Order: sequence, then C-alpha cells, then structure tokens
Amino acid sequence: MNNLIEFLKNNFHYFLFAVLLVLCLLLMGKSMSYSHYKFARVCQAVTGPVQKSWSEMVHTFSLGKENEDLVQQNIALMREHDNMFIVKEDTTLTRMSETDSLHRQRMRLYDYTFAHVIFKTTDQAYNYIVLDKGGKDGICKDMAVTSPSGVVGVVSDVSDHFAAVIPILHPDSRISAQVSPINQVGTVVWEGPDPRVAYLENIPQHLEINIGDSVLTSGYSNIFPKGLLIGTVKEVMVGKNASFLTIKIKLATDFSRLGLVYLIENQYKTELDSLKAGFKTE
Amino acid sequence: MNNVISNILRFLLLIVLQVFVCNHINLFGFATPALYLLALLLLPIELPLSAQYFIGFITGLVVDMFTHTLGVNALACLVVMFVRPYLVKRLDSGKSTEGINRLVPGIKDTKWIFFYVILLSLIHQVLVTMLETSSFANFGHTSLVILCNTVFTSFLLLCCLYIFYPAKSKY
Repeated sequence: MNNLIEFLKNNFHYFLFAVLLVLCLLLMGKSMSYSHYKFARVCQAVTGPVQKSWSEMVHTFSLGKENEDLVQQNIALMREHDNMFIVKEDTTLTRMSETDSLHRQRMRLYDYTFAHVIFKTTDQAYNYIVLDKGGKDGICKDMAVTSPSGVVGVVSDVSDHFAAVIPILHPDSRISAQVSPINQVGTVVWEGPDPRVAYLENIPQHLEINIGDSVLTSGYSNIFPKGLLIGTVKEVMVGKNASFLTIKIKLATDFSRLGLVYLIENQYKTELDSLKAGFKTE
Repeated sequence: MNNVISNILRFLLLIVLQVFVCNHINLFGFATPALYLLALLLLPIELPLSAQYFIGFITGLVVDMFTHTLGVNALACLVVMFVRPYLVKRLDSGKSTEGINRLVPGIKDTKWIFFYVILLSLIHQVLVTMLETSSFANFGHTSLVILCNTVFTSFLLLCCLYIFYPAKSKY
C-alpha cells in the first residue's frame, strides 16, 4: 500500500499530464454533448464582450475607408436613377445610348462625382463654400452641388485643385423649384441671416400650399436634375405683392454640418445653353 | 516572491498581446505568431512538473477561448511544457548546470537559446496547425503554414529575448 502511494506521488505529474491531455482532446471533439456546448457558451460569455469592444475600437480606424466605399456605392446607385436620363421611345439616338428593359433609348444627361468641403461660411450676408476638387478632377463651372440630405448650391468658380460654390445661402442664388403635389414652378431665394430658412417665390396666390409640402428642383435650369429635395414648406404668407404668395421653406441641407457633397454635371449643358442664348437675342 | 509576480505579469501581458494583436496578424494570409509562448519558455525550470503542465494547459485554454478553437492551443502548450524539461536536460548535457533556472541569453549561449526556442516553437506550431486543419489533405500547404509560422514565431521570440533580456544583464 505504501509502495502504491509512493508510486503515485512520484509519478503524479504523469497522471496530470494524461488527464489534461484527455481533457484537451475532449474539448476539441466535435461531438455536441450538452456539457461541451455549455462550456463553449461560458467561454463565449467571457470573451465575447471583450472582443466586441476591442473590435469596435479597431473598427473606428477603418471608418474612413468604409465611408469612401459607401460614397462610391451611393454614386453608383444615384447614377442609375431615372432623373439622370432622357428616355426616348424612338430609336433615332443610336450613339451614346443604352436600351433599358422596355427597349427604350436612354441617353445619359447627368453624371455624378463627389468632393469634400474644406472651407465654408454660413453666417455672412454672402456665403460661400470651397471644395477640395478642381478643374484637374473634372469639376467645371455651373455644376450642381448637393449634400446627402438636399441641395447645396452651384459651382461658381474653378481653379486647378479647388472649386468655389455659391450655396443657396447667397443673395445671388436662384434655384428653379417646384412644390411637390401641385408641381407649380417657382424660384428659391435666400434673404435672411438664418442659414436654415429660404423663400420660395413666384407661386400664384390662388394655389393651395400646405405646410410640410416638399420643395424639389424642377430640372428646368439644366443645372439640377429633376426631383432633388431643397426643403419643406414651413410657413405660407400673403405677400406685399398681392398676386404672389411668400412661402418660407425649411432647407433640407444642414449647412453647419456640411462635409461630403455630390457634384452633378449636365453633359449637354453647352448645347442646351446655346439654344437658350438663341431665345434671349430674339 | 518578486519572481512569481513578474512571471504572472508577463503571462497576463503576453496573453493580452497575443489575443488582441498577434491573432490579428495574418502575414501572407496565414502566418500568425504565437507570442505567448515566450511566457511559457521563460517559466522557471525548477517548478514542480505538475504545476508546469497545469500552467501550460490554462494558458493555452485562455488563448483558445478567444480564438474559438477550444483545446488546440491548450494541447500544444501542454506538450511543449512536457517536452521542455527533457529538452533542457539534453541541451545542458556535458555542460555545467549552473544557473539552470534562468533560460535567458545572458546565461545560456546563443546556440543553446536558438535550439531551445526554434525546437519548442516548431513543436507548438506543428501541433496547433495539424489539430486546426485536422486532416492530412493538402499536406503541402499545411507544412508551408507550419514552416512560416515557426520561422515567424521563433524570430519574434528571439527578438524579444535579446531585446528584453540582454546578454550583459546579471540576473
């Protein structure tokens, strides 16, 4: 008996080794016994929260890249939107066109790109915005500028690497707009010092405008595609000029938080403008 | 006592580094260094063998819990701890065994340290990789992974040893 105890004492580490080895093999086993499952659950409960908070922390470093990817995806989706195209039933447009599922000819009228705001003012009488892309990146004068939430303004000046934008918050800015349900066309102007509010002009007094109606771009200016959100009607007043309403609109774009903007180019702008110039001279 | 605390701290630090940094390194898509092996290699050799086995098992199990491979690292560490005393005895044969408890470059010569680190990380990586793939299919790729992991791990461990336990220090 003593010998046996002595033997066990001297070789205890071998037994421990064997027991632990078997334990490892059991843990590795693919068999889904209840105890195995429960142990795995306990491990998960211990390590899960730690790993989650760690991966969240690491994730913040890759947010920039992820954001860029999302912007690219957004642009790809927006480029396919209907208001980017002129759709024709006949087949006279054979060049620069693609057919959709109904075999109509689609001609791309607008194209998208993006830029970041590097300088802006919102509290002046004449506000402006500077973007980090310029002529070398394909930006040109009179391109439309929108934010993810709504219309921002129009490119007024372009250098090699930068572009200046006249936002809605500028007395010279005039954007052709229409009120959503009745589709009456007017003009959005900005007068006040408040960067959240603009006015919609040239809406005749007999029309019924409700508070909360959407104000969208009309697409008549050859700068903005049709149907981009400018803002919502906030207040309707009978103006000093008796024939028109004065409509206060709440702008959709929050200019104080402007970071990323989309630029929209009308690919046939010069052609369309030359037609318009013809009207003026007559 | 001081030695015990420094050992425990070393274990904690290396396991945290292993779990949060080294496990996310995927050199060439598959080479992941096992930095926590350093803590096991620096464990005093005169500890009771059963304690050494137990420490190895627990260390491996903690790492396993974070990689969702229960048992794999635990088994590899256990075997490493099992082999280690024999390896040390073998490497020490014919030499004075003075300072056997410090397995660091200042006390052991370069050849000794290199053999010790490379052999044990090879054993560890062979076990981890084979158990993880758990098949002999695609053996060429498996052996490549083992080779890369061993080279990477031993390189890292040797660097750590020579940086943090420089030869001149008088432990």
